[in-house]
Amino acid sequence: MKKYLALALAATMSVGLLAGCGGTPAASNPGSGSGSGSSAGSGSGAQTSDLKVGVFYYNFADAYISTVRAAMDAKLDALGVQYQNFDAQTNQATQTDSINTAITDGYDLLIVNVVENASPEAAQGVVDVAKNAGIPVIFFNRDFDVSVLQSYENSAFVGTDPAEAGHMQGKAIGEYLLANYDAVDLNGDGEISYVMFKGQEGNPEAEFRTQFGVEDADAVLTAAGKPALKFYDANNADKYLVDQTGAWSAQAATDYMNTILGQYNEGNGNMIELVIANNDNMAEGAIAALQTVGYNMEGGSKTIPVFGVDALASAVEKIDAGIMTGTVKQDGEAMAATIVTLVENVLNGEELMANTDQYILATGEDGAEIANKILVPYSLVGGEA
Amino acid sequence: MSNESKELAAKAHRFGGKKPSDLLLDNALYILMIIAVIYIQFFRNSNFLMPASLVNILSQTAAYLPAALGIAGCIVLTGTDLSAGRAVGITACISASLLQKVGSSSKMWPEIGTLPVPVVILIAVALGAAIGAFNGFFVAKFKLHPFIVTLGTQLILYSCLLLYVNMGNNGGMAISSLDATYTDFIKGSLPFAQVPTGTNAAGETIYTPIPNYVWIAIGLTVLMWFIWNKTTFGKNMFALGANEEAARVSGVNVFKTTVMVFALAGAMYGWTGFVEGARIGSNTANTGFNYELDAIAACVIGGISFVGGIGKIRGIIIGVLLLRLIFVGLNMAYVPQDLIYMVKGGIILFACALDMRKYLVKK
Amino acid sequence: MEQHELLEMRGITKEFPGVKALDGVNLTVRAGTVHALMGENGAGKSTLMKCLFGIYSKDSGTITLDGKEVNFKSSKEALENGVAMVHQELNQALTRTVKDNLWLGRYPKVGGFIVSERIMDQRTKEIFDTLEVSVNPKAVMSTLPVSQRQMVEIAKAVSYDSKIIVFDEPTSSLTEAEVEHLFRIIDMLKKKGCGIIYISHKMDEILRISDEVTIMRDGTWVATRPAKELTMEEIIRLMVGRELTNRFPPKTNKPGDVILDVQHISGKYTRLKDATFQLRQGEVLGIAGLDGSGRTEVLENLFGAMTREGGTITLHGKEIRNRNPQESIKNGFALLTEERRATGIFGIRDIRENTVVSSLKDYLLGGICLSDKKMKEKTDWSIQAMHIKTPSQKTQIRSLSGGNQQKVIIGRWLLTKPEVLLLDEPTRGIDVGAKYEIYQLIIDLAKEGKGVIMVSSEMPELLGVCDRIIVMSGGQVAGEVDAKNTSQEEILTLAAKYV
Repeated sequence: MKKYLALALAATMSVGLLAGCGGTPAASNPGSGSGSGSSAGSGSGAQTSDLKVGVFYYNFADAYISTVRAAMDAKLDALGVQYQNFDAQTNQATQTDSINTAITDGYDLLIVNVVENASPEAAQGVVDVAKNAGIPVIFFNRDFDVSVLQSYENSAFVGTDPAEAGHMQGKAIGEYLLANYDAVDLNGDGEISYVMFKGQEGNPEAEFRTQFGVEDADAVLTAAGKPALKFYDANNADKYLVDQTGAWSAQAATDYMNTILGQYNEGNGNMIELVIANNDNMAEGAIAALQTVGYNMEGGSKTIPVFGVDALASAVEKIDAGIMTGTVKQDGEAMAATIVTLVENVLNGEELMANTDQYILATGEDGAEIANKILVPYSLVGGEA
Repeated sequence: MSNESKELAAKAHRFGGKKPSDLLLDNALYILMIIAVIYIQFFRNSNFLMPASLVNILSQTAAYLPAALGIAGCIVLTGTDLSAGRAVGITACISASLLQKVGSSSKMWPEIGTLPVPVVILIAVALGAAIGAFNGFFVAKFKLHPFIVTLGTQLILYSCLLLYVNMGNNGGMAISSLDATYTDFIKGSLPFAQVPTGTNAAGETIYTPIPNYVWIAIGLTVLMWFIWNKTTFGKNMFALGANEEAARVSGVNVFKTTVMVFALAGAMYGWTGFVEGARIGSNTANTGFNYELDAIAACVIGGISFVGGIGKIRGIIIGVLLLRLIFVGLNMAYVPQDLIYMVKGGIILFACALDMRKYLVKK
Repeated sequence: MEQHELLEMRGITKEFPGVKALDGVNLTVRAGTVHALMGENGAGKSTLMKCLFGIYSKDSGTITLDGKEVNFKSSKEALENGVAMVHQELNQALTRTVKDNLWLGRYPKVGGFIVSERIMDQRTKEIFDTLEVSVNPKAVMSTLPVSQRQMVEIAKAVSYDSKIIVFDEPTSSLTEAEVEHLFRIIDMLKKKGCGIIYISHKMDEILRISDEVTIMRDGTWVATRPAKELTMEEIIRLMVGRELTNRFPPKTNKPGDVILDVQHISGKYTRLKDATFQLRQGEVLGIAGLDGSGRTEVLENLFGAMTREGGTITLHGKEIRNRNPQESIKNGFALLTEERRATGIFGIRDIRENTVVSSLKDYLLGGICLSDKKMKEKTDWSIQAMHIKTPSQKTQIRSLSGGNQQKVIIGRWLLTKPEVLLLDEPTRGIDVGAKYEIYQLIIDLAKEGKGVIMVSSEMPELLGVCDRIIVMSGGQVAGEVDAKNTSQEEILTLAAKYV
């Protein structure tokens, strides 16, 4: 009996296939927006448009991405377009499958937070299918080689300058240290011993933040005649600890920090005096570990300076409470607003990059501006001396 | 008709002539699937069963099927294989690194040029099989539960993977810039494998190609069906899963069979790795992560029971297809992504509870 | 006809850590004869056979098969060289079909690795026809009754075309008719010139079919004699090492008033139909019947281990429901299960845990913490009262003999202070000597005022221990007899009533 039902199922599907061949399916003509417009998009309220938008996030579980998603949902709702969010769970294969599915479903616009951005292939793959289907695509947050954007006129990127956050963080660290040098230098050896938590191997933003967070701080320090920062473990040639799962997770930082504190502490005179993290999640993870041994308590006397990136609400609260030192705000709200400006262009049938004069464009290696790559600026939160 | 055959016929009738309620429950999964398909198609989104969408579902099923076919053997032996994802990852990275475009600046091994595709297939499948055999050896020799063995292997492989992506010219970057012979072999399509999916504005017919890996997945499915049902190895595998001691005293080489089941599974991961390498195009240490979980879920939904010695190839196909239908269908039905995992989890529990019901002896 | 020596095992010694399981055992089997191997449980019979079959490797001694010395490393090698075995525990792949089980390990192949279903079907038909076995070759093993599975196992051993076939307790789950069938098969094999090694506890079977008997005790060879020269008493004397004058202890219990009244109970999923009977205080009530007649079902139904459909149970004039074992235990019932190893003991746990597991709430201190002292006291009591022979309370139960394991479980149930004890095959797989002790225990319990219901497939045992016997047939109560004024013939006639 089971056999027959399986057969029936197969038959149902093949009938669908045949039926589809005969008619003129809406799916084949996504540009016209004639898809099954009757269905309501997730969370969309007053719906006034037939524009179907797919938003593909690399990982729902990422704290910063969640802030972007919340802002984007609100703005897309207000705009009144149909949209559907997709979670790739840090898996490019999942995202590729989702995008292929969306294309067959006649989506009119893709907004993609690509998973694998260490090489341009994944983004190029998205551009290829979008081009084939004749629909625009807006990438955001996770950057990749500019050649991809140049290969399709109906593509755009909204992101940040991956190096900027690192530069901003490094400079803030340097200035903070200059103002508080002796207080930070717990063992009084004249050098600041630090640890760097890297979010992921091979990700350009993580690479830049790891590099410039230290280099720029060193530049400020050495200019003022102080010695450069010293990585706490002389045997570690990388001079960073990375989340092996590539998830930029607080858990990884907590685990590392707990391990470190067993061996490196004030009792041994080799306490870590500065924590730099690629994102706020990891910074908060490090703080959690510090708190288990009595540092960085609210109202406590001993605080190790901790710097992150993203300016998550929880991190800003910690900065206000004095248990975290500084973070660089990657503005999720502004990111979402910029993306939605482009969505509006598509909705109104304008050029994808219309009405974007107020935004900063990225520059290529030759110094010329890249017309379809918008950078949302960072800003510093906390870190004041 | 002799008395005996009458008795047999009566028995057959008894087993076949189930109560309607049992019949419904036994096939609840299929019935629900059909209802869901019909509901989505006619009430939520008429694009669901359009040819382009069906090709998409077919392609995705084909991509995930080989790993599930492999892991199913391990489950038939009352085991599991947690190392599948990492095995896919490492074979994907190695396949990709051996098939990068000549002259690409990011080429991992500039000195060896681009190997012929069949050679790389052989390397990937052989490496996968070797990983599987390694698992099987520890399971069979030291009587360790596969859960433990493959958990160990999973971690070991991850280290190997991290080391590998740092080797040669690569330095931890994603392995990409793949040679066209490779991507065409996997993602390309045969001239006849073009499904008309509509017409464009100019009145020309638009074709959606069926990628080559679909045909290969079909071939592998037939091969696995043959191995499971028609060979001594397959029958020994089921006997071993049903009752290891019985197999041993009947003269089955338990060690060899176990190692071969795991090696066969590994070969399937090797193949999956080879396909994924080109399908995704950008391979990092994260490639293949958690593949085993979807493969195991597909198997248990399809009735490959953890009790051991039970399962059919048909079930695996249904399992993978169902997971893909969930993935595609729920998105097309505009179910919020946050809820999709709940539906998936619920279906796994529901399917397995239904399945166990068949094997529970009522007293 | 000169019956040449087919198999000779000489001076076989096998040591396990701490135990000498076999010590210089000899066994000679002639072609065309049945050689019975007897001994109490733990005497080393199975170990000896496992050494022959390559499952264990012997420490010393020689095995000569057909004039050639052999030393099998695996079952596969033994089977290939003409030694097959019907194992005591049914070792079958239950989720597979009959024919898949039958040819497991030697599927007929074409092209090196492809299984030929056609040849398999044909050979299955041949072997089943020769042996007159009527089992559907395509049936899944788990859907068959145990006796049919046993016949498949026997057919499988025969199908190897072996010179030596070992039958290890082959009749334990067969019906009378099937036992006769088996004996016909054995006769046929004898005529073909096979040597049969037959292990059984059932004396009448041994005396009926065997030509020679070898008796073992405590891992040593005791005697080998022609079966014609032996009597049951003589065999028991050799096995136990002493004279066993009475097989049953004197009946000293006195049945009193009815305490349990069971009216019209039936099973929802099992074949038990409309069973009605009473149990008196201090009475041992026997339940007889053929295998599959619903004997076990009566006990499990009463205990709530099976789903009941209709009927009432009244204990001391009060109706009780016994919907599940937990509730039944609370109502003062206890069930000793049929399959001791599968559903009775917790093999790798120690004596103490096995003893206290059903009465844990009695040892709580302040409702939370288990008192080691109380548990030890109760276990000590059980060891003493049940005469359990064990080195300590901390010994793993699986290392005890079957009889002692059974006593531990009886002790476990007594700690729950039951009023009605349900015993399912209480002496299965237990030595002759230990059986007597179990009988004594049962009668003592009845004497103390407990009601005992006992299922057994051994008729003499029921006649020797019980006061009344109800006979089951085809899931129904076929009749009730007084143990003192009945005969095996009467019981058998009743047992066949609804077959």
